[in-house]
Amino acid sequence: MKKYFKDSDVLSWNLLRKLFLIMKLVLLILTTTTLSLFAISTYSQSARVTVELKNVSVKEVLKAIESSSEFFFIYNNELIDVDRKVNINAKDQKISEILNTLFKADEVAVSVIDRKIVLSPAYMSSQQQKTSGTITDSTNGEAIIGANVVIEGTSIGVVTDVNGKFSLDISKPDAILVITFLGYIPSHVTVGTQSVLNVKLVPDIKKLDEIVVIGYGTQKKATLTGSVSTVKGNDIASIPVANVTNMLAGHVPGLIAYSNSSEPGNDKASLLIRGQNTLGDNSPLIVVDGIANREFEHIDPNDIESMSVLKDASAAIYGAQAANGVILITTKRGKLGKPMISLTLNQGFNTPTRLPKLADAYNYASMVNEIYPDTYSPDAIQKFQDGTDPLHYPNTNWYKATIKTWSVQKNANFTVNGGSENLKYLISFGAKYNDGVYKSSASDYTQYNFRSNIDGKINKFINIAFDVAGRQENTNTPNSDIYTVFRSIVRGRPTMIATWPNGEPGPATEGGAQSVIITTDQPGYSHRINYILESNLKLNIAIPGVKGLSLTTNASFDKNFSNQKNWSVPYNLYNWDGTTLDPNNQPILTPAQYGSPLPSLGQSVSDGKNITLNALLNYNVRIANKHDIKIMAGSERHTYDNFWLSANRGNFLSPALSQMFAGAKDLLMTNDGSEESNARLNYFGRVNYNFSEKYLVEFVWRYDGSYKFPTNSQFGFFPGISLGYRISEENFFKNNISFINNLKFRGSWGQTGNDRIKDYQFLSTYAFNDYSAVFGSTPAAYKALYENVIPNRNITWELADQRNIGLEGAVFNNKLSFEVDYFNNKRNQILIQKNASIPGMAGLTLPPENYGKVSNIGFDGSITYQDHIGDFRYLFSFNLTHNKNKIVFWDETPGVDPWQQTTGHPIGGDLYYQADGIFHTQAEADEFNAKYKGKGVIPNDGVVPGDIRFLDVNNDDIIDGKDRMRDFKSQIPTLTGGLNINFGYKNFDLGILLQGASGAVAYVDNFEAGLMGNYLQEYADNRWTTANLNSDYPRTWDRTNMYWTQNRNTFWLKSTDYVRLKSVELGYSTGEKTNKALGINGLRIYVNGFNLLTADKLGIYDPEGAAANGQFYIYPMNKTINAGIKLTF
Amino acid sequence: MKTAIQITAFLMLILISSCNKDFLNEPPKNLYASSIVWSDPALAQTTINQMYKDLGLPHSAISISQFCDEAWQCWNWGTGDFLKSNITSDNIPAWDAVHDGALQWNRLYKAIRGSNVFLENVDQIKFSDNALHDGKTMKQRMKGEVFFLRAQFYHYLVSEYGSVPIITKSLTTTDSLHFARNTYEECINFIIQDLDSAADNLPNVQFQSGENYGRVTKGAALTSKSRVLLYAASDLHNPDLNASLTSGYSNPEYLGYVRNDAKVRWQKAYEAAKAVMDLGIYSLKSGSAPYDQLYTSLFLAPNTSSEDIWIKLDIAKDNAGWVHDHYYITAAPNGYNGWGGPQPTSEMADSYEMTDGSKPNWNNPSFVAAPFTNRDPRFYSTFFYEGSSWRQRPDATKVADPFNKIQIGYVGYLEGGVFTPLVPGVDTRQGPSSSWNGTFTGYNLKKYLDPAYTVDNYDAKQPNYFRWMRYSEVLLNRAEAAIELGLLGDASKFTEAQSLINQVRKRIGMPPVVETGFALRDRYRNERKVELAFEEHRFWDIRRWMIAEQVVGTSSKELKLRYIVNKTDDIKLNGVPSYRKADGTTWTTPTYLLEESGTVIRSWDKKAYFLPIMRDEVNKNVGKLIQNPGY
Repeated sequence: MKKYFKDSDVLSWNLLRKLFLIMKLVLLILTTTTLSLFAISTYSQSARVTVELKNVSVKEVLKAIESSSEFFFIYNNELIDVDRKVNINAKDQKISEILNTLFKADEVAVSVIDRKIVLSPAYMSSQQQKTSGTITDSTNGEAIIGANVVIEGTSIGVVTDVNGKFSLDISKPDAILVITFLGYIPSHVTVGTQSVLNVKLVPDIKKLDEIVVIGYGTQKKATLTGSVSTVKGNDIASIPVANVTNMLAGHVPGLIAYSNSSEPGNDKASLLIRGQNTLGDNSPLIVVDGIANREFEHIDPNDIESMSVLKDASAAIYGAQAANGVILITTKRGKLGKPMISLTLNQGFNTPTRLPKLADAYNYASMVNEIYPDTYSPDAIQKFQDGTDPLHYPNTNWYKATIKTWSVQKNANFTVNGGSENLKYLISFGAKYNDGVYKSSASDYTQYNFRSNIDGKINKFINIAFDVAGRQENTNTPNSDIYTVFRSIVRGRPTMIATWPNGEPGPATEGGAQSVIITTDQPGYSHRINYILESNLKLNIAIPGVKGLSLTTNASFDKNFSNQKNWSVPYNLYNWDGTTLDPNNQPILTPAQYGSPLPSLGQSVSDGKNITLNALLNYNVRIANKHDIKIMAGSERHTYDNFWLSANRGNFLSPALSQMFAGAKDLLMTNDGSEESNARLNYFGRVNYNFSEKYLVEFVWRYDGSYKFPTNSQFGFFPGISLGYRISEENFFKNNISFINNLKFRGSWGQTGNDRIKDYQFLSTYAFNDYSAVFGSTPAAYKALYENVIPNRNITWELADQRNIGLEGAVFNNKLSFEVDYFNNKRNQILIQKNASIPGMAGLTLPPENYGKVSNIGFDGSITYQDHIGDFRYLFSFNLTHNKNKIVFWDETPGVDPWQQTTGHPIGGDLYYQADGIFHTQAEADEFNAKYKGKGVIPNDGVVPGDIRFLDVNNDDIIDGKDRMRDFKSQIPTLTGGLNINFGYKNFDLGILLQGASGAVAYVDNFEAGLMGNYLQEYADNRWTTANLNSDYPRTWDRTNMYWTQNRNTFWLKSTDYVRLKSVELGYSTGEKTNKALGINGLRIYVNGFNLLTADKLGIYDPEGAAANGQFYIYPMNKTINAGIKLTF
Repeated sequence: MKTAIQITAFLMLILISSCNKDFLNEPPKNLYASSIVWSDPALAQTTINQMYKDLGLPHSAISISQFCDEAWQCWNWGTGDFLKSNITSDNIPAWDAVHDGALQWNRLYKAIRGSNVFLENVDQIKFSDNALHDGKTMKQRMKGEVFFLRAQFYHYLVSEYGSVPIITKSLTTTDSLHFARNTYEECINFIIQDLDSAADNLPNVQFQSGENYGRVTKGAALTSKSRVLLYAASDLHNPDLNASLTSGYSNPEYLGYVRNDAKVRWQKAYEAAKAVMDLGIYSLKSGSAPYDQLYTSLFLAPNTSSEDIWIKLDIAKDNAGWVHDHYYITAAPNGYNGWGGPQPTSEMADSYEMTDGSKPNWNNPSFVAAPFTNRDPRFYSTFFYEGSSWRQRPDATKVADPFNKIQIGYVGYLEGGVFTPLVPGVDTRQGPSSSWNGTFTGYNLKKYLDPAYTVDNYDAKQPNYFRWMRYSEVLLNRAEAAIELGLLGDASKFTEAQSLINQVRKRIGMPPVVETGFALRDRYRNERKVELAFEEHRFWDIRRWMIAEQVVGTSSKELKLRYIVNKTDDIKLNGVPSYRKADGTTWTTPTYLLEESGTVIRSWDKKAYFLPIMRDEVNKNVGKLIQNPGY
């Protein structure tokens, strides 16, 4: 028995078992290392250090202690004066002794907990009459150490201890406590008569001191002048989908993400930054941990710290690859502190959001009779309708027969994170499994991944970081492709039986493509395994002698191996003669063999490597405490090489061994292979200047060299400049408009390039045709060489001119924050082939020329409001992106009618005949025939009632190609947005993401319906017939035999606007008491969902998936329900 | 400190040392620079292979026979619209599928560019082998092939569109790229000039013949010349006869000759055919009865014969895509798991005479009693018809047909004048296999299918040869020219024409034709239709003879068969209702109904004698390129 029924339970246990094994191993390693690393932490205050410093601030002394011990300090520099200059000369002294010399005992109180030393004003510690309580993080219930608890209007207050506890004497019962902590929204609490006061602080997600990752560096959000949107890894990691690209829709203003398929392993969403800007490749540059062109869709979302989207001139530092925007992904790194272990387990269930509804057997048979009369007898039609004889007259729903209701997905992650001052580490392991939607599915995706990000301090000057990450991605599919599978479902006529009562598959449709069986691994399989190994060694060297000067070098080496194996074996489908029954009255079936007559095998391997080396020189200086200057200059080189080999053999004697050696050495034994490589070399830099963080200037540039261009013009220069003005930092503003906490104007201009074209367009080249020419008295295939392209020796980059104006701010104690950007992008020198104007008779295979111009104008923005009412916390965050592009200039065929021209209109429109309802009556048809019969696309035998009326747009009494009008909507939405809603109450939290898109269309192609395939139920139910004269739907058609199914027309063009509940999550986090009782740091249990509800006009299939041109013959989009647990200890 | 500086220095060194000038000059690894191609005879030869590819593939799920009265395309991938002359300058229905798209304007001009580039560069190649093979050097042979192929590309263009611009150099983007059409006469002269060059350079046989078999020879060049001149002399391009097309059209010189010297042109065609005969290396393959097997064998791999002038060798090996590689599946009847793509029209089948030379007549009771007996032997090797034997049925249908006989009819009963089928034939549209592949005409195409080839699954790649040119055509070309010269006054030519036609008829055992004048022309035209059926002649013939209106301008008839039994009759075999009795005979004698087809509906507009130049192409040439009439 061949294994084709996959037991997902067994698999899940295997997965878990493997994971636990890995965990055990990691724990073992960790225990050993922690023992040696953190044995230190037990020696408490007896630790001795040597600190000898003259005329330095207290702060620096504390830092010196931190760096030569395992301790670190927690204090509020507004309450403790650490800028005071001191001299200290301590040799091998106890820390407590040093602290005693630094601070007077009656001013500063010192308390030591583990390795944390908390410094607080002595008056705050002088506790008297007690009102006590705990301050915790509202999201995870963790104690907040060092929060300030001050009685409003006084200077009386305390700092919370290591357990987040405080205790304070309150004299007035109406006193209000103001609780503040960096990174959290301040909380005001009326004490009243309470003696115990527990307060949860809500994290301030829009904090101004947030550090934003930008190209080759980081910057404070406050002083950022470019248009950069960020999203935290934690915010998206909760979305229960396997592919990171699918987590982004609705989260980031300016980023348009739409998904076409939920097929396990092939479920990448398309990403566009601010829509389409060019007629060519619009995909953004992806940079992972500073290394360009890494793949990020399969990164474990638990590893992602943040993502930054560079939308404007700030991307210019990436020069020639930046014109479509840049997405920077930064992974998590180790944090100072004892090892924090977290374990996340998720179990989810997928089901298609929507499957097309197809006609039932009765309707189908009736419709076939309308086009080919008497194909089904009245008796047969009756039996299809009443279902009394399902063996002879079945009524099959092929979707139901092929697709199961729920398929499993699961993932698990195990992360250890911690470190000392000298060595910090983050180690993460993950595994995920995603099953296909087919019954006895041969389709699934399994991934194992690990990451180890290590930061070390070699000495005072040198920091080192070594990152290594690996993934194994196993994608299994049946050996029929998606197109074949879903085509066979839609082509599956409901009048055919899918599965016989004994479980055997029903008879073949054409070529044996019977969807029930070709979705299993019975006919063979296609297995792909990708191995990805990414590494980077980073050195950061503070140049001694020059304060603020440092050199950073990166050496990254990434490998990518891929193995593909396609195995085909014969399989049986079963026919019944319609009569013969066995003694149990079950049909006696005859097998018929389909598929590969003898087993055959194809295997291929590819081996790719990316090497990126760069060096960055950074110089930061602050002059007169007002002028901040940051200068960075760098150089980078990148090489890529990939080769592949493939081999095939057929005519295996036995299906038992699917190994190459076992195949026959005959004509089917073939092999193939090739290699490609490329190289880039760049120089780049950035200068930042700000005056008191009020006036901000940034200049970036890149001198970019690419192998894609001829020797004398390989380099291009790409500058970008941006300015910012924080009016809220002006005194007049601060003093007068205090409710506005932050207000910044910014603007940018930059030029970036796009070189995403085929290689070697500047060379005259010849390529081998995939076809062969056959000669010889024993015919054999000979190669054929054709002119690949005529060269364009002047080829150069597409040039993007990007302008952006932005406004960002925060009001009401940062409760309401907003950010809005207006952009005006012009893309020049767009590389297009002049096929529209150069006559075909020139016979040229044209290279792209720098010819086209596109403008793209729009806005994106977000607004967030967050606050809490007692224990009830809430956040609303809304973002919107709108863009409108326009082809300013390109190659337009001369003499094209105005209504068909593309210049001056958006990219991607298509030509359609204008459908104007249907002919309801013979009179209507006759009137039309009198004028148009036999002219243009109207058939010589004329139209009949039920046909679709085409408009004679140019009134020339003939309906031909000139009557097609261009519809300027494409499959890409022009308006997208998301609304994030978060509620929290005590230990519960609820997150909702509503996401929508508008402005896209789909052409609903049901044109294999007829004798060969089934009709959509909507068309079947509403079709025009003599009994349904008033219908607005056309009569029954057979494939593309009608002028209105053959010629693209607006009848079938549908809007795909939608709003959907993209994700929702309900969680419960244990409180501190429970954590303590369990001896853990936190436990969170949650249920969440993806794509749960959709509102749209299309209705037929998923409107988001409709963005693909594959129409019905695509893998459906999933909705997901998932439950998970995250344990931290 | 020291370490820091050392490491820094080291890393900077790596970076800088690698940044040499050639770092970005990565040469292509998967392409040949053109300078390499034009210095190596082996690679240059390989560009000629591409030009052979540029002719496209004649056999596929769609073939040119489905665009005329030879066959109906089962699924009507647009061919039905073509046959209704629903052709506009925006859309020539399904034409992009013919020859795998090779016969489209742009594709042919791209191929012409390939030949121009070759001819411009061939002289700079140093050939190490300058020896003579069959009288020609390697370089001559290659040049000859390219001249031939360029002529062939232009021949297709001229046959489709009338005259076209003649482009003889490889253009670049800096050249002026707008062209007007040359005259029809100039085009023909140019093609003939290229074919003469080809004939001069090509050997009679290809040297190292094993390996080069399938490349063109002098005989192919001369045959092509015969065909081109025959087409050019025909009515469609004759100003005396094509006025219905050219009247009112601004540029009649684009559609044909403007001089009234038809006789000169027929004379040239007459002589061109003779030139092939005079080579003395071709002859009809002869044999003895059964003649249907003789005729069948002419087309099946691996057979070749003295009759073959130029063959497209095994199409299944071209790797040109599934529908090309798997001709067997696309053509076989649906009861053989095939697609039944080409469905010969009943009119085509009725063109095949009785063995006595008389015409089939469905009004003649004795004919209707046995319509499929005593037919021209070529009938049996060309068509699948009711009851014709074929090889064993595949698993899925062998239960329904253990006798391996084509089933195109229905067994059923009549009640109140309504026929109710009880057992539909396995090859019908209600058969148990892929019913949408059932025939709409009553026939399926058998020619080119090998009964000895027994793989019937979707991997079946039956070796598949196509005769671009064979000797029968040459004889018939000369016969046609002789008849036309006869009709223009030289009556002595009729006898020669009869003898040429009778050569073709005699070798398959058909009686001679004895008519003269227009009657002879009718017999000739039918003979050409039958002898060269499904070999890409008919499409062009009905145009140049200007008979398309009569032969495709009407709807087609479907031959339906019924075996009418009584409702209560036991028609079971092994307990299952059966199409035939246990002894293989039918339950009753068939009732034939030759009825108007509800599907094969055609009509003709005279504009369709020429295809339209695409609107975009006309627009691109800013007024220089004049469209054909009617578009």
